[in-house]
Amino acid sequence: MINKDKWINSLPNANSKQNEELLQIDHNKWVDTIPKKSNYSSVKKYSFMLVVFVCGLFFVSVIKNQTRILEKEINYLKASISIIEFNLKQATLDNEVITSPENISKLAKEYLNGDLAYYKKSQINNLNGDNKITKKISKKNDSKIMNKLPVKIKSKVEKKIKKKKEELAKLQELYNDPRSIPGEVKTKVSKEIQKKKFELKSLYESPKELITLQRVGKWGMVQVVKAALGMPIIPGR
Amino acid sequence: MKKKKKSFYFEDYTESKILDQNSYFNIVKVSFSRITFLSFIFLSMLITCSIKIIYLSLSTEKAFYSQNTEKNFLKNRRDIIDRNGNILATDVSLYDVGIRPKLLNKKEKKNLLIKLRLLIPDLDRNEIKKKLDKNNFFWLEKRLTPQEKDQLWLIGNKAFEFNSKPSRIYPQKNLFSHILGQTDDINNGISGIEKSFDKDLRNNKKIKVPLHLTLDSNLQYLIREELIKAQKDFQSIGSAAVLMNITNGEILSLISLPDYDLNQRISLESESYINKITLGVYELGSVFKTFTIAAGLENRIINSNTVFNNLENSITCDKYTISEHDKLPNKLDTEQILVRSSNIGAVRIAQKIGIEKYKNFLNSLDLLNVINFDLEEIGSPLPFKWGKCKLATTSFGHGITTTPLQLARAYAILGNGGYKIKPSLLKRNTKFLEKKDQIISEKTSSEVNIMLRKVVSLDEGTANFANIEGYEVAGKTGTALKYNSKEKLNTFVSIFPASKPQYVLLVMLDEPKPAPNFVYEFPPSEKFPNGYKHKGENRNTSGWNAVVVAGKIIEKIGPILAINNLQASKNF
Repeated sequence: MINKDKWINSLPNANSKQNEELLQIDHNKWVDTIPKKSNYSSVKKYSFMLVVFVCGLFFVSVIKNQTRILEKEINYLKASISIIEFNLKQATLDNEVITSPENISKLAKEYLNGDLAYYKKSQINNLNGDNKITKKISKKNDSKIMNKLPVKIKSKVEKKIKKKKEELAKLQELYNDPRSIPGEVKTKVSKEIQKKKFELKSLYESPKELITLQRVGKWGMVQVVKAALGMPIIPGR
Repeated sequence: MKKKKKSFYFEDYTESKILDQNSYFNIVKVSFSRITFLSFIFLSMLITCSIKIIYLSLSTEKAFYSQNTEKNFLKNRRDIIDRNGNILATDVSLYDVGIRPKLLNKKEKKNLLIKLRLLIPDLDRNEIKKKLDKNNFFWLEKRLTPQEKDQLWLIGNKAFEFNSKPSRIYPQKNLFSHILGQTDDINNGISGIEKSFDKDLRNNKKIKVPLHLTLDSNLQYLIREELIKAQKDFQSIGSAAVLMNITNGEILSLISLPDYDLNQRISLESESYINKITLGVYELGSVFKTFTIAAGLENRIINSNTVFNNLENSITCDKYTISEHDKLPNKLDTEQILVRSSNIGAVRIAQKIGIEKYKNFLNSLDLLNVINFDLEEIGSPLPFKWGKCKLATTSFGHGITTTPLQLARAYAILGNGGYKIKPSLLKRNTKFLEKKDQIISEKTSSEVNIMLRKVVSLDEGTANFANIEGYEVAGKTGTALKYNSKEKLNTFVSIFPASKPQYVLLVMLDEPKPAPNFVYEFPPSEKFPNGYKHKGENRNTSGWNAVVVAGKIIEKIGPILAINNLQASKNF
């Protein structure tokens, strides 16, 4: 008789207890070996994607809406530019017609005296020369006017001219050399500037502080007087 | 919780025995079908939304406001401007108004007629009535301004149809009529610059860049005014003038009278409306003597001091008699032949030169061929057979025809040192002449210039009236009889300033008459230091009309030309 155990025991590691343990299948052991990703279901996955897609759609529509608004604005601007361009063109065209040589000569004939005079070389040379004639004429004219005036007026006019000339000379000196202005004048001016600056600053920072009881009373009195005199209380109404 | 967990595995392991045994399987199956149903609806909605979004994203701007605004100001052709940037031609929106009578009953038609008559008194009532009765669409008015269109629109009739379209207008009216030309109803160029540069003017890529011409509105106006005055003074039927820069061929002014308002289209069947400068082909007379002498100098057959003895007062060639216009000495040198405009002297010089050399010289100046120009309206000189008599007559400008533009160009070449130029109406970037093609030597050019100056400055010269102080005018007169007519065609071609030629001015009077009532004013000279006034002149040669006009023109335009280039003002 063949002893089966004898044969089985002859197999390598056949007798080991480990093999027996291995042969016993534990389903939980198998389940645990499933990779972690299985924790996320396909439904979850799709729903997530759906949410992302919907969000994307929403943002696209928002962005699209915004771009539409911008586009509208651009179009309005384009329209206004073209209107301005059109107006400019019309204005240029009007200008062309108004300033056309034909129109200018018509206006010149209407408003200027006679035709234009063409100066000849000889005439221009005389004028560019010593100007003896013109000087003589101007001197003659001046002397004629002065001779006609009475002596008192002459002296008065001369004095006034002298005074003005002196004042002008002083001012010229001052402007030419600002360092020569006395220090007292300079400090006075700078103080006044500072004062005005401070007043302006306080007015901008706390305008309410300016409305004092005294001022209100004064204003009220003025209004009462105005009403009594029949003048409009608030100007302009 | 564990149960729920298992249900998740169920999805992945539907065939496993573990899940088969699960009692919740059916419930899950139901929920799954619901989800698929819902997701299907949701997905379909999404797809429709996505399609709409894609459609909207891809659609171009079709907002009505943008379309409306841009359509109204669409330009069809480029603007045309002069050398100073003044607009000569531009597009504006004008309206054509039509009527669709089918939309009206009898009463309404009557009402419309009454309203139209009140609004447009000049309207032909019977014609409109006929058209209304025919019940077919017709155009009531074309090229209406927005104001005129508004007036019609305010009638509030449903039969009106307004059609806005860009139309060409010319703010300078008559001033450039022969140069600019016109466009037809659909804005195609039909004449002048509008035709010759039609393709370029319609180029959409350059629509905002104007076409820059060499013309000057101020000069054009001043010259035109003088020509109009001259036509009254000398009762000519027409006149023409051209002002050209001799260094680069730029045309500063080109006038041909009579002209017409470009904004009011009229039929131009009359020959008098042709562009006399470019299209008119004329026998121009003694102005050709300059070329005869220049040919002799260039071929070294004569020099300015060559003396011609025994000059007859008249000679005959075949049946024709050639005589002097005035009593002249029988001994003249070359210079005197030109200054006194001796016909017999010119014939003698031409005979010395010979047919071939003379013919070649005229050909080199392009006087006998059609020249290349910026306008399509170009005349072609009449061909003829050369012979001994032909040589004799052509030597003093008879029996030979050319256009005034070609004549001005030839004088420009003589004046600029002999360099070839191309007359041009288009402003180029190059300011200076590219001195490449020299036809005549500088020596000949300067000798001719000196002689031409003497024609104006010497007392025995034929063009004293053009001796304007400060401008050193040089030039030559030409008096010719028109073909088969006793009427004259008087021409004067001038170059100024003679010491350094800059411009050539050609003035032509068509059929002038003697002007005994005209007061001629002689400029100051050695003979008359304070000038001289003369009245009661019955001569009708170029020196007594065309020269006077040219002198007045130079007096007026001189300062403008001097301001522009500071040349003359410095010399002054």
